[in-house]
Amino acid sequence: MPLINFAAREINYKIVYYGCGLCGKTTNIQYIHRTINPEARGKLVSIATEEERTLYFDFLPLTLGTVKGMQTRFHLYTVPGQSYYNASRKLVLQGVDGVIFVADSQITRLDENVESYLNLWDNLLAQGDDLAKLGFVIQMNKRDLTDVFSVEDLNELLNHTNSPVVEASAITGKGVFDTLKSVCKQVISKTG
Amino acid sequence: MARRKGLVINDRQLDRCDDLLRKLKEVSGSSFLALISASGQPITTASDEYHPETLSLASLAASSFAATRQLAKILDENEFTLLFHEGKALNLHVSQVTDQVLLIVTFGRQTQVGKVRLYTQRAMEVLRQVFEGPDDEEGPAMDSGFEADAGLAIDDLFKDL
Repeated sequence: MPLINFAAREINYKIVYYGCGLCGKTTNIQYIHRTINPEARGKLVSIATEEERTLYFDFLPLTLGTVKGMQTRFHLYTVPGQSYYNASRKLVLQGVDGVIFVADSQITRLDENVESYLNLWDNLLAQGDDLAKLGFVIQMNKRDLTDVFSVEDLNELLNHTNSPVVEASAITGKGVFDTLKSVCKQVISKTG
Repeated sequence: MARRKGLVINDRQLDRCDDLLRKLKEVSGSSFLALISASGQPITTASDEYHPETLSLASLAASSFAATRQLAKILDENEFTLLFHEGKALNLHVSQVTDQVLLIVTFGRQTQVGKVRLYTQRAMEVLRQVFEGPDDEEGPAMDSGFEADAGLAIDDLFKDL
């Protein structure tokens, strides 16, 4: 549900990075903040614990520029991944236009991935979102590690919606912008 | 193109809001006012000299407010409709206009909390009418070429990255 301010000629979309603890959500957003043209981004705000684990969310506004006379922005958020922070995750999901589900490809993280994926759909359904109008991308992160699931296996486990999939290594930046680009295009298309 | 679902602000609504915020700022003695969406996006602001970073402010205020509402639920309170932070030099007052709109007011020592709360309460009654009135039912449609042009702009923003 984007905020469209016709009077101020502005349109704002909200995109949320979702996934289990330590899957790389904050790493994605930090890489974007470091790499993108500084004029196209605002301040990175992080509400984290002393151990730098996300406590509430990270926030980074990106400006696309003026499109057909409308100043167009994407507001990127992450959620806290640890399972006991579900109340906070629900709050961050409010008003979301697009979701990037960051899956940790490591074999040892299978249970956490599945739990987080199910939790995402539970929360979206609970807030009554029209899921057909939501942009959705699955990022298979940590592909640079060795002990990982195949893309086919992860796809079968975590992609019941047949959504676009991007292989990534957020720590090196591989796939980070491909993921973001995919969801940005979807939200514009689906909310139009 | 069909009208989108979500919060849509038209010229008339924004003019009324700007006018109201200007008056509220004047009578309450506050330093900065902003209307934001409940999902954390700024709608409009009123300020003379004090200009905080609005995008971060809107995001944090909306999140704090959402958390406050959940606190109310946990405490079996119907709702907390107000968030107030008192600082040494500056105070922050966030209140709920409608389900989708919040009002942020900051003010310093030059005015009193009671005065700000009183005038804010009155202003909210008018603001509610702006957002819940018939104007909210109609908005202009997006330009038909928006999606194609936005796609090109996205390609351009992320090229070489």
